[in-house]
Amino acid sequence: MPELPELNPVIHGKLRLALLSLLSGVDAAEFTWLREKTGATDGNLGAQLMKLEEAGYVSVEKKFVLRKPQTLYRMTEAGRAALTEYVAALKQLLGAAI
Amino acid sequence: MDEKNLAERLKLIESMVSEGRRSTTKWGWTFVLWGVAYLVATAWTTWGKSWLAWPVTMTAAAVATSVVASRMSRGQAETTLGRAIGAVWIGMGSSLTVVLICLAVSGRYDGRVFVAIVGAMLATAHATSAMILKWKAQFWCAVVWLVAAVAACFGSDTVVAIAFLGATLLGQIVFGIYAMVLESRRRRQGAAHA
Repeated sequence: MPELPELNPVIHGKLRLALLSLLSGVDAAEFTWLREKTGATDGNLGAQLMKLEEAGYVSVEKKFVLRKPQTLYRMTEAGRAALTEYVAALKQLLGAAI
Repeated sequence: MDEKNLAERLKLIESMVSEGRRSTTKWGWTFVLWGVAYLVATAWTTWGKSWLAWPVTMTAAAVATSVVASRMSRGQAETTLGRAIGAVWIGMGSSLTVVLICLAVSGRYDGRVFVAIVGAMLATAHATSAMILKWKAQFWCAVVWLVAAVAACFGSDTVVAIAFLGATLLGQIVFGIYAMVLESRRRRQGAAHA
């Protein structure tokens, strides 16, 4: 019997998974846009984004636009690879369950 | 972890990825705005008999579009897809403006030439966008504008006028309203997932 894959625990959290999936479809996204799309609170969103940043899956850029602070998040190559692996593992697990 | 939970995760990924891409397709209002601007300019030219009709209306539409678009883009995620479609429309609009101004200045402006050029360029932009987005409704807009452009090459003044007004109504205003309805429906359905 083939060995079942492990799911990456950093990505597996529901909000972190939603964030990585959102970022996979865009070049860069603002904190406010991610908050709007996920419906998460500022504190929770900030904490989960920090975990993704620490894992190297997301990069952060802080700048000022018209004197207002703007925080942009981007998915890194490592993040894209991790999400691809996660999806493959998920599909394999689902395939094994059927 | 059970199967249901795993399937939910997969669904969440799909919905979030499409949510990110969706932000590029909520520009239905611009089609309505420009369609109405064409109608206003046509009416002004027909009944007002002023050479200012087209320059003033088009400039007002361009200013309104850039102001609203820049406000809408604030706080939105940028996508390659969005940039590609934006580039098509900006390129088309700039070329059209330059050519029509040159025709007017050189005195070679003619109603039929105008409809042929506008029809062909709008057909190209709609078709390109339709192919990128795989959107059949927009492809039909391209067909409608191309028909107007062809009619301008062969038809009488009345046929050309009907073709232009028909294309404006169907290819801009009706299509724009349809896009806006779709967008509002999606918004209502797509409340927070995570």
